[in-house]
Amino acid sequence: MAGDGETLLAVAQRLGVDIESICGGRQTCAKCKVRIDEGDFPKHGVLSSASHLSEIGIKESDLLSQGNGSETGKFRLACAAAVHGDVLVYVPEESRAHKQTIRKVAGERAIDVEPAVRQVYVEVDAAQLGEHRGDWGRLQSALHLQCGLSDMQIDLTALRKLQPALRHGNWAITVTLWQDHEVIDVQPGYKEGVHGLAVDIGSTTVAAHLCDLRTGRLLATEATMNPQIAYGEDLMSRISYGMANSGGLAKMQKSIIDTLNTLATRAARQSGLTARDIHEAVIVGNTTMIHILLGINPQELGSAPFALAIREAIDLKARELDVRLHPGAYVHVLPAEAGHVGADNVAVLLAEEPYRQEKTTLIVDVGTNAEIVLGNRERLYSASSPTGPAFEGAQITFGMRAAPGAIERVRIDPMTWEARFRVIGEERWSDQWPTANGEEPSQHLAAGICGSGIIEVVAELFMAGIISGDGRFNASRPHPRLVQQGKTTAYILAYEAETAGGQPILIAQDDIRSVQLAKAALYSGIKLLMKRSSIERVERIILAGAFGSYIDPKHAMILGLIPDCNLEQVVAVGNAAGDGARIALLNRYKRVEAQQQARDVTYIETAADPDFQDEFVSALHIPHISDGFPFLEKALGKALPGRDENNEENKRMRRAERLRDRQRQKS
Amino acid sequence: MSDEINLKEMLDEDIYELMNEDLYDGYAQEVVEEVYEMLARGHAPYDILSKGLIAGMDIVGDDFRDGILFVPEVLMAAKAMKAGMAILRPLLAETGAEKIGTMVVGTVKGDIHDIGKNLTAMMMEGAGFEVYDLGVNNSVDNFMTAIEMRKPDIIGMSALLTTTMPYMRVVIDALVEAGIRQDLIVLVGGAPLNDAFAKDIGADAYCRDAAIGVETAKRLMQQRREKSR
Repeated sequence: MAGDGETLLAVAQRLGVDIESICGGRQTCAKCKVRIDEGDFPKHGVLSSASHLSEIGIKESDLLSQGNGSETGKFRLACAAAVHGDVLVYVPEESRAHKQTIRKVAGERAIDVEPAVRQVYVEVDAAQLGEHRGDWGRLQSALHLQCGLSDMQIDLTALRKLQPALRHGNWAITVTLWQDHEVIDVQPGYKEGVHGLAVDIGSTTVAAHLCDLRTGRLLATEATMNPQIAYGEDLMSRISYGMANSGGLAKMQKSIIDTLNTLATRAARQSGLTARDIHEAVIVGNTTMIHILLGINPQELGSAPFALAIREAIDLKARELDVRLHPGAYVHVLPAEAGHVGADNVAVLLAEEPYRQEKTTLIVDVGTNAEIVLGNRERLYSASSPTGPAFEGAQITFGMRAAPGAIERVRIDPMTWEARFRVIGEERWSDQWPTANGEEPSQHLAAGICGSGIIEVVAELFMAGIISGDGRFNASRPHPRLVQQGKTTAYILAYEAETAGGQPILIAQDDIRSVQLAKAALYSGIKLLMKRSSIERVERIILAGAFGSYIDPKHAMILGLIPDCNLEQVVAVGNAAGDGARIALLNRYKRVEAQQQARDVTYIETAADPDFQDEFVSALHIPHISDGFPFLEKALGKALPGRDENNEENKRMRRAERLRDRQRQKS
Repeated sequence: MSDEINLKEMLDEDIYELMNEDLYDGYAQEVVEEVYEMLARGHAPYDILSKGLIAGMDIVGDDFRDGILFVPEVLMAAKAMKAGMAILRPLLAETGAEKIGTMVVGTVKGDIHDIGKNLTAMMMEGAGFEVYDLGVNNSVDNFMTAIEMRKPDIIGMSALLTTTMPYMRVVIDALVEAGIRQDLIVLVGGAPLNDAFAKDIGADAYCRDAAIGVETAKRLMQQRREKSR
């Protein structure tokens, strides 16, 4: 099949076998190293011999010996070895052009490495008298002839470096390309190293992942608090800050840009690089964060109809934002879906690919503003739901963020109504905490209760019959843990001896109400999506976001935060938005996919839906006024309490009983 | 043991008490039957309204304020109230009974979250007010037109977002501009608001929830009546 004297690389390219080559076959980059397997291979019908290849030259020999670990003699550079007879060639993983990298999460998935930034090595015609092309014209010709690239542009900073680079490199240079369309850097001779940064700007946390764009390898991750918290805890208060204070937007923008620069520098330093070695950044975040980053006043996102300045993806020079990476570096911002479903949710789509799933999948990212995606490969719907900060501990009497001492797990005995709990930073449950002297005391006493604990305590109170489905404390039986607070009741979750503050931790009636409001906002959003898409049953639930990893699916279902589903099909995937940003960084075709999915997903404005109020009110009930939970009941091995409270017959009986009681009192 | 209740055999006061309780439990059909029974016995529509319905909603309001009842129960009670009112309203109009007050209510421009506003409107109706609900996303013009048409005593504005609540000031400024601010009671509500904000924008009061809204409306109406005497 090989023409006599054709190189292995040329043959491979002709046959569609992808072998990496940065220098374009000039025996410079040594990326096309292949192994020659000698002997008789009847299966392939070849008698393979290294002698069927051209002799190893000095340049090739030097490059082969530079590589570590490769047994010389058996390896050749595909671009140097000319074929004169049968050989069996093995292309090792590291020499394959289309590399894959693995996401380290549940259901590991491979990412094909097809970055937007790559390097090529070209040899350019030397300038000579009587020939009037400029050096850029000569480079364009070289790129066209040697790499098949046309219609190229060049960044001004690269253009300034072009003439000295060509002369220092003796007319051979390494060109860094963006989207095979623009030259963003030129370096004399053969050089390698392209890097990218994937950034997820959350309202609370900003995380940056530094990747090698050639191998796809994750080099470093750096995270920090979003400094904009100083201007407002939640999105709406930040938008208000921008509206009410002149220069407010500029201040918030500067603070996030400073943070990006710090993270880029720190991540680069961790890998022995500088921020100037980063050639591209992909940024995701909610719509407000992206508007502020771009210096666009997010005012319109503060009120209906929540109009975005731009929904599409954007490419711009990092330097335009004062983001200090490589001078020619680009920033790519993923597209948004709707006013309050942003690039972070599109990144979640890229990471989880519900649009490729056969199973009807529900993706929930629980935060102060929860994002919901529902559907499968046939259709996809999304919504955002204002759950409020209850699951972050706000609006709860003893609520706190997830920190050492926060109650994160709760169990209540349905017979005795006694509680035990576990706090962050202490392995043992509270009923295993020693009381006698001499034993190891608990690392942390209970300081408060965080989101996962809040979900569990309400679910457990309900399962034990201490509160009923309407959320009210059941006064049917006195108990030392039940205390009167004004006209309502509260449950003592931790006695004073178990707490850091020396006062008992109570779950008050108002706390239950706050949880009901928060969970109803999410559940009703999910139900509206199910209704609008005529989906009756969810086959798979993905809990995305950091908080999602700490939620116990069973308790979340008992509470009615998520709909009924086979519990084995409920998974937490951690920071899917960050993973999605990395995918878009490493594979430029995924950006096209993101753009298409962002456009195709049907966004539903839940608050404006005529059925919203009815759905919301029905979802205030624990777990829901009418929805069945057969999977959950099967997993629990018992029926949920109080499911028949609301049928007509019970109503009539209660009414008659009430009347009899009153008449008995009177007589 | 029969669980049937025979209204015909009951005393008037027992039926009113039953009506209060059925309203509390949100039993609309039962409330309707009781209203018809009292009308058949020759009771004045105004008496049925105040002793049966409003008295019942007062208990609902108190228990909602105290955290004993929650949104779904209050909505059920308000629905039962509405069912009873549907029978009484035409009769009340005939007899020309004195109205407690009239209210125009809506969420302000940019805000489409209306559950709190709906609850307030229903409870105000439950307390005997005539309520004109403008729905969501109302501009100054919407409020001004409604004021001209309905001649309300009270304007109620609601906002759920910190970004939309400043619009309340715009509406109040327009009332001042038009020279009608002093003729109206302005009540504001919504999750991000507080007393200081209400005072700052020149509203008469901030109402934390629907029950407090009703209480405040009644109190301020009372003060107004006393002043005008």
